Amino acid sequence: MRLDRWAGGLDKAAGRTAALAVLAIAAAGIGIPPSRAAAARVLDVRDEGHLRFIVSDGSELLDEGPAQGTFTGKLRVHFVYNGEPAVSARFTISGHGGSISGKAKGTLSNPTSPDPSFRGVLTITGGTGRYAHIHGGGELFGVFIRRGPNKYGLTVQAIGKFPY
Amino acid sequence: MSRAHPIAVTLALCACLSGAGTALGATTATMTAAFAPDRLGAATTVSFNFQISADGHAPDLLRSIDFRYPANLGFATSGLGVASCAPAALEARGPSVCPPDSRMGSGSALVQIPIGSEVVRETTKVALLAGPSQNGYFNLLLSATGESPVAARVVLFTQLSPGRLEIPVPPIPSLPEAPYVAVVRMHLTIGGQLTYYEPVHGKNVAYHPEGIGLPRSCPRGGFQFSASFGFLDGGHAEARTAVACPGRR
Repeated sequence: MRLDRWAGGLDKAAGRTAALAVLAIAAAGIGIPPSRAAAARVLDVRDEGHLRFIVSDGSELLDEGPAQGTFTGKLRVHFVYNGEPAVSARFTISGHGGSISGKAKGTLSNPTSPDPSFRGVLTITGGTGRYAHIHGGGELFGVFIRRGPNKYGLTVQAIGKFPY
Repeated sequence: MSRAHPIAVTLALCACLSGAGTALGATTATMTAAFAPDRLGAATTVSFNFQISADGHAPDLLRSIDFRYPANLGFATSGLGVASCAPAALEARGPSVCPPDSRMGSGSALVQIPIGSEVVRETTKVALLAGPSQNGYFNLLLSATGESPVAARVVLFTQLSPGRLEIPVPPIPSLPEAPYVAVVRMHLTIGGQLTYYEPVHGKNVAYHPEGIGLPRSCPRGGFQFSASFGFLDGGHAEARTAVACPGRR
């Protein structure tokens, strides 16, 4: 159906040929179907990452770790918390077929807890490989761990549907 | 090689740094700041010294401190203040009643109390603690406790904002019929030798929390700090200082 729609300007035979060509490229995993065919797909994400602290730069922490769920890969998060309830983050998740980058804003509660939690929204800012055209937004939930074996680590959950 | 005590290092660094103050009227203020260790990207202890001087008259009564610091210092991302102290309990019984994990720093304040024709000086103990948060902000409690000649405790409330701490100072009563207490000097160290406890396999295990994270790069001119002191008579004095970039002294 979707292929029929974007191939609507062509005659039926040419449309079928184009559709088959795109399917072949996508199936081979070697190309990125250009624009409209790719935009019809949706990545339904419900992922969780348990991240460990790598390095800090003042009020910014860099954490990394595996993301598990519908899109598995390596998650890298730059988390900024300067004392206001508003926290922010930039993230990149690298998996098979490409990477997805985005930013997030949230509100942190219980700042004097050993593990304050935050929640907010995330926005996809770009991607590479088969996710070069990914976009959209979703929800973000997280916990900032302030002591213990995983000190300055993060646990994050992302939920969203992202066309690509 | 012996290891220098962090406080000693801090005081030595304070002595090396220059604090510049400006005066409006006859009251002036100076301040110094120091990091120990002073290493970019590392967790550190931050120390401040404030001094308020009056030129030939009794010092003005302090009403507020508007303290500015580099907004990208990792105060909130430090391991300090992972519990909160109840303000009412702190006011009634002092910092010893607070959870150890709520302690964030300590120091001292020198106050002057005019008694008759004499001015009596008293050194008070200062404690910085994490307070409860209802609004998501990191609230701080500053407790000053004096024992002699005036036994009193005052608790100041403030909120951690990026790059700024606004501290209202209430009038501090001294003896009956005597004027209010005037704060003339304060030393405060955030971080340092603190002992916290965390549950491990059902037991509380002691540990030393990491201090404030320094940025990995130093701004031109060093890390800038300033304070504006407001007085009861409406006047104010300002002071500023900078912690020089490591390796550039």
